Amino acid sequence: MAADPAKLPARATAPARRAARTRALRPWLLLAPALLVLAVLLFWPLVRVVTLSFQDYGLRELNTGATDYTGLDNYREILGDSFLWRQVLPNTVLFAGTCVVLTLVVGTLVALLLQRLGRTWRLICSSVIMTAWAMPAVTGTYVWIWIFDPLDGVVSGGLDGAGLIEPRETNWFTDRWSFYAIATLNVVHHGFPFVAITVYAALLTIPRELPEAALMDGAGAWQRFWRITVPTIRPVFLIVVILSTIWDFKVFAQVYLMPGGSGSNPDVLNLGVWSYVESFRRNDYGMGSAVAVLLTLLLLAVTVVYVKVLSRERDEL
Amino acid sequence: MTRTTPAGRVGLGIAVAALLAFTLFPVYWMVSSAFDPEADHRGADVLPSGFTLDHFRYVLDTGEFGRYLTNSAIVGLGTVVLSGLLALFAATAVARFRFRLRTQMLVMILVVQMVPLEALVIPLFLQMRDLELLNSLLGLTVVYLAFSLPFAIWILRGFVAAVPEEIEEAAYLDGCGWWRMFRSVLLPLVAPGLVATGVFAFIVAWNEFVFAFVFMQDDTMYTAAVGLHRFFGEYSTDWGAVMAGSTLITLPVLIFFVLVQRRLAGGLAAGAIR
Repeated sequence: MAADPAKLPARATAPARRAARTRALRPWLLLAPALLVLAVLLFWPLVRVVTLSFQDYGLRELNTGATDYTGLDNYREILGDSFLWRQVLPNTVLFAGTCVVLTLVVGTLVALLLQRLGRTWRLICSSVIMTAWAMPAVTGTYVWIWIFDPLDGVVSGGLDGAGLIEPRETNWFTDRWSFYAIATLNVVHHGFPFVAITVYAALLTIPRELPEAALMDGAGAWQRFWRITVPTIRPVFLIVVILSTIWDFKVFAQVYLMPGGSGSNPDVLNLGVWSYVESFRRNDYGMGSAVAVLLTLLLLAVTVVYVKVLSRERDEL
Repeated sequence: MTRTTPAGRVGLGIAVAALLAFTLFPVYWMVSSAFDPEADHRGADVLPSGFTLDHFRYVLDTGEFGRYLTNSAIVGLGTVVLSGLLALFAATAVARFRFRLRTQMLVMILVVQMVPLEALVIPLFLQMRDLELLNSLLGLTVVYLAFSLPFAIWILRGFVAAVPEEIEEAAYLDGCGWWRMFRSVLLPLVAPGLVATGVFAFIVAWNEFVFAFVFMQDDTMYTAAVGLHRFFGEYSTDWGAVMAGSTLITLPVLIFFVLVQRRLAGGLAAGAIR
């Protein structure tokens, strides 16, 4: 043994090295199933939607599996169409912007309200706003359509009773602005609880001394909110804003299910529904993919900003 | 902080009342219309004109809504089980091991959540068509699995990281192998996290519309969210039936949400701050 000291460490580390190798391999074994699912069902389709957007892909291609690359034709057609600039893009962007701002304002106000309430009322309110969150987008949309139904809905019934409108001559779903006003109400109602609960949870992490010290220094409620609350929980605000933006940009069911929203009224199309109509109604999958890519790029821009600001945030902390 | 003045108390009361009214009105309108025998001509009557179960009976018998609810439940449970399992494995990998590309994995999981899944309807439709998984509950389950996985990994990562490593080491000292430690030590300790992510996955699957709408062309395979579309006509709608169906879809989600509300929201905020 002692005669050959050089062999000793080697023999001792052989099992250790094997253990080290399993240790190094184990995280990848654990990650493998999840990565496989994401690769097949997210990354590959993402690649595919881009390649499809450069093709003329209709029923013929669908049935024969042939490919017909047409370069940028689809994009040229979409971007050269005033329909995109006048209708679809404003519908998508303005709607998403309005929804994000309103969701954030309402959600934050509710979070501040929750903070000021006593234990019992806080529990009641937080449980109740859960019902708005829990309501599936599909059923929520049907309920709002029912509420604003031109003939028998509660709003037109009430306004008719007050002598303000003539129900038979009023239809809020045909006009672009009132259509989207109702959709906004729907989305904000569904979206504000997430903001409220998340911001409220973040408010709880603010050390009590901070606002108290500010109060001593004579800061008003408005100042305390902007100078202390907002900077302290900025990362949370950021995440909430980005998630809401992404959700509101790609809204589909809330628009598609409304009367006229499924394509019969071109005035109210947004990017998501337009992509659906092009591909599954007109069987122009290439065109639909191009619209989908456009939507993705729009959201990618938002995501890049998000990651940038977040990483800067991390450096500061 | 500030002592509440009487005027402040009144303001607070008004704010609470407004919040409750805004939040609950659609829910109330849905449920009360579902039980209203004259739902279609209700107008602005705040109280329903009577009480009937006819709409529910109609929806479940004639409308085959029971089948749609069953389809939704199967897809939902399948998504929960698969996503819980795969997400826990992946979360353990990123929370417990230091390996090359670990940070990149975390960033990727975060970024993947930003992919607008609705934009992937077309390629996934073609993919499922090639695999002959259209009109199949399995095909839908697999897609929802991909949707709920990134978020589930992200949340479970926090739960796994919160388990003190000393407990794991104690298990090793007792002679456990890694797999045994995983099953009997880690798994029970992250069970609350699994419940939260499971509920989230179930809700994603239960509520999803676009994919179910595109994939399921045979009306026996409809999920509840898509099946509801049948009662909805562009010009005349049986509102009692639609509201009864909506109530049936909403109830399970409502119960789940109230059960896990805090854990879910707390987890989100914690993930955001960390």
